[in-house]
Amino acid sequence: MGLHNGDKMMRYEEWSKLARKASKRSLWMVHFCTGCGAIEMPPVMTSRYDMERFGIASMATPRQADVLLITGYLTVKTLRRVIQVYEQMQSPKYVIAFGSCTINGGMYWDSYNTIKHLEKYIPVDLYIAGCMPRPEGIINAFLELMKLIDEGKARGWERYQKYYDKYKENQRRVFNFEVKEEKEEKEQKREKNEEH
Amino acid sequence: MDMIGIAIKITILAAYAIIGTCTGLLFMGVGRKIVARVHNRVGPPFYQNFIDVAKLLSKKTNISHGWIFDLALLFSISGILLTLLFLPIGGVQLLSMDGDAFLVLYLLAIPSLGFALGAGASGNPNAGVGVMRALVMMLSYELPFVITLIALMIYYDTTSLATIVRMQSINGIKSWAITMPPFMIAAFAADMALQGMLMEQPFDIPVAPHEIASGPMVEFGGKYLGSLMLYKAIALVAETTLFVDLFLGGGVVAHGNFAFIINFIVWLALIFLLFVLSILIAASFPRFRIEQAFGFYWKYEAIIAAISLIWVYIMVIK
Amino acid sequence: MKSIELLGKGEEMHGRAYIKLSADEIEESIKKLKENGFNHFVMLSCVDWLDKGKFELVYHMWNYEEKEHAMLSVDIDRNNAVMKSMSHLFPQIETYEREIHEMYGIKFEGNNRLTPFLLENWPHDPPMRKDFDSKKFVKQMYESIPFIEGDENEGI
Repeated sequence: MGLHNGDKMMRYEEWSKLARKASKRSLWMVHFCTGCGAIEMPPVMTSRYDMERFGIASMATPRQADVLLITGYLTVKTLRRVIQVYEQMQSPKYVIAFGSCTINGGMYWDSYNTIKHLEKYIPVDLYIAGCMPRPEGIINAFLELMKLIDEGKARGWERYQKYYDKYKENQRRVFNFEVKEEKEEKEQKREKNEEH
Repeated sequence: MDMIGIAIKITILAAYAIIGTCTGLLFMGVGRKIVARVHNRVGPPFYQNFIDVAKLLSKKTNISHGWIFDLALLFSISGILLTLLFLPIGGVQLLSMDGDAFLVLYLLAIPSLGFALGAGASGNPNAGVGVMRALVMMLSYELPFVITLIALMIYYDTTSLATIVRMQSINGIKSWAITMPPFMIAAFAADMALQGMLMEQPFDIPVAPHEIASGPMVEFGGKYLGSLMLYKAIALVAETTLFVDLFLGGGVVAHGNFAFIINFIVWLALIFLLFVLSILIAASFPRFRIEQAFGFYWKYEAIIAAISLIWVYIMVIK
Repeated sequence: MKSIELLGKGEEMHGRAYIKLSADEIEESIKKLKENGFNHFVMLSCVDWLDKGKFELVYHMWNYEEKEHAMLSVDIDRNNAVMKSMSHLFPQIETYEREIHEMYGIKFEGNNRLTPFLLENWPHDPPMRKDFDSKKFVKQMYESIPFIEGDENEGI
């Protein structure tokens, strides 16, 4: 991208500063709410804690959206679909994770089917502490995300591109794909041995 | 063809595009503010749609589904710009021909065809359902609209939009079409058809976000969605201008050398009033189903439009 | 209570009727209760008695007229967990048996829809058994996955 030549770097910086200023005042979120935090989204969207005054609107598909809100615990089954949604979004894109289940497993820390740390699988820009955070906390988080975008620190999507192999490796480990394939191979070998 | 004439026309063309876009985006932002106040909340700033377009056009990845998908947007924007050129704005019309009242209706159908192409290229079943509903809706609202258009043409004995505007601007407000009783009914029918043309609730069936994941726009993102928003802005201006030209005299109240500025301001005010009316209706109604919308337009609206047509015919025969 | 009178055995426990049956009698009992007003099948639940070496399957039924909750309990052996399927009596039993097959590993003969339901790609032991060590599993499966290193503010 020619980031290291003197002149080109300056121009890229200025343009992307303008683009970030436009992007922070018009964040569109995907209407995909997992887990317990989905119940805290309607108060944020409606009249009382109105989020549209910051330009945030909810969109129907991930192709049209910028922000993905992970509002609670994620089972392994849902994580597969969340990753498909995240990869369909167009960059620059941001992820906000609600609640303690995404930070360290929360209430389900010893469950066999929920993931414990969300940032091993997709890059998270901002966490909101709480079980579930209240609408005031959510709006505070949006304002914080706008500040981070303005300073240029919300670069989760670049991290995903850079460490793509490591993220995919982590995802495959938790989806048991390799284990399943090995088991199928073992069964096939066993059947072949029995035939002989 | 002298070069100065062509240069002037190209400048006016560019001015049309810019004015249409900026006005449309401004109106959309103000519309969101009005809806928010109806809902008893604060709402976004009135320039919000400019920021939205800037954000969309500055996205770094833009996923396309082939060259047919790219063509879809080209169809939409070029179709609606061409429509705008045929409409008299404050009495000034860039292109004109005989029978351009019908031509405008045909040109308004080009964007829907563009969406059909885009939906087919993207391969998403939601887009297919949305496009089918969009075409059915276009079929349904055109019937009462064409009946009122025929009523106007019979009364003014012309098929040219410029003539209709000129004949309504003779006496100022008193000679607007809407002051005559049969055209009051016709204007009511045309306003309901306008609600369908603008795709506002209760007729926003093709772009329903919760039922079919926003229909034809489901695979649009980034620069494509930004261009789509520009199309929507220009379409807003074009369709309300059509209504104003047909029933409200095109906003022409002054004649003379600098009359254009006054006419332009009056036209802008009339479009804004019409848009606010449609937004207020949209904020109070839920969404129809497609068969309810079709029945509404072809049963009740068609009867109202037919009444006005028969009234006008009787007036003309006498 | 009506169910205790109909089946001839059982006792009242916390306002519900608790009837212990054997695996052969369960089908007749459910049919008999169904014909006599117990026409709502509520749930099929399973308890894992690790020290006694058995699974206890409990069939819950509800009577709307008498407002009576009957629990029919069947014991099956833990090491050879096979049971006859009751899905021809009530259609919803098929889904409950599917869940119990996935979570406890009990095979239901006659139910040909024992496919994966809640867990995807699960090659380990059935997770609801008492000898499934959840904490050890979490440590081995989830905690062993490494964090992605790299500076947070780093770009491409």
